[in-house]
Amino acid sequence: MTETLMTAIVLTLGGMMVAAGIAVLFVRDLLSAIIITGFVSLSASVMFLLMDAPDVAITEASIGAVLATMIFLWGRGKIGDDG
Amino acid sequence: MIRTLAGLVIVLILGAVAAAVIPEMQMREELQGVGYSYASRGMDETGSSNLVTAVIVAYRGLDTLGEVVVLFCASTAVVLMLTLYPIGVKASEPSRIVAFTAKVLPAPIMLFGVYFIAHSHLSPGGGFPGGTVIASTFLLVMLGSSSVPDRNGRLPAIESLAGLSFGLLGFWGIMTAGQFLNNAFLGTGTPGSIISGGLIPLISIAIGAKVASEFSGVFKAFRNSGGEA
Repeated sequence: MTETLMTAIVLTLGGMMVAAGIAVLFVRDLLSAIIITGFVSLSASVMFLLMDAPDVAITEASIGAVLATMIFLWGRGKIGDDG
Repeated sequence: MIRTLAGLVIVLILGAVAAAVIPEMQMREELQGVGYSYASRGMDETGSSNLVTAVIVAYRGLDTLGEVVVLFCASTAVVLMLTLYPIGVKASEPSRIVAFTAKVLPAPIMLFGVYFIAHSHLSPGGGFPGGTVIASTFLLVMLGSSSVPDRNGRLPAIESLAGLSFGLLGFWGIMTAGQFLNNAFLGTGTPGSIISGGLIPLISIAIGAKVASEFSGVFKAFRNSGGEA
């Protein structure tokens, strides 16, 4: 992969992560916020993969994107939709 | 609104800290100190092609043992809390898509998790991520069924056995090589073959079984924490 393409991908991904992180603060319902948080985790995992850290990427994808999201969803079931 | 603004302020402060720190970071061309030592001698000493696993399981095996203990305490606390104070979430009927996915996907995902654990010394992966991947298959099965049996089955036995075997493998090192969690006393084999890396594959299997059973227990506790329902 060429250097410029790599830079472009990293910049796009990083921009999307920052935008998603800000969006979490402003979305109305909790479900959207949880899904966006999961998206940030998944993007972080792709970012780790691009930085040649596949071990960290796998852990981030399985724990950050799946496990944490699921725990948040169950927590949302407890406090209801209007948090 | 106050909360949103507070969150925004915290994010801006963190961003300012990062912007101040990142230009100061110096990227070294070559590894130094401990990192250099691991990278240059790791493969010969441990027989593991994956240096990350070699550091996690062999060189820093004691830290990993501590991590496993921390995870054990955390999962015990979560299950205890959920048993004492049910969160009262009613398990709803799965939709057709979820029900079908939960029939088809668990086997390949579980195979993937087993591969992570079994090849932790050869390719990216390891006990912790492999264990969570295996636990997520049980999560998928639970999501695809409307009711989950309340009994624990062999889960606690697997968890205890895995934790015990991690400790015993460490003490085996004391007996034979005079060092807790010594990696090399079984022979390290040829780096790259499936039977290599000394104790690393065995400890990875122990970690994977422990993590998988712990997270499955936590998932089951969450799923069944519906009060009287």
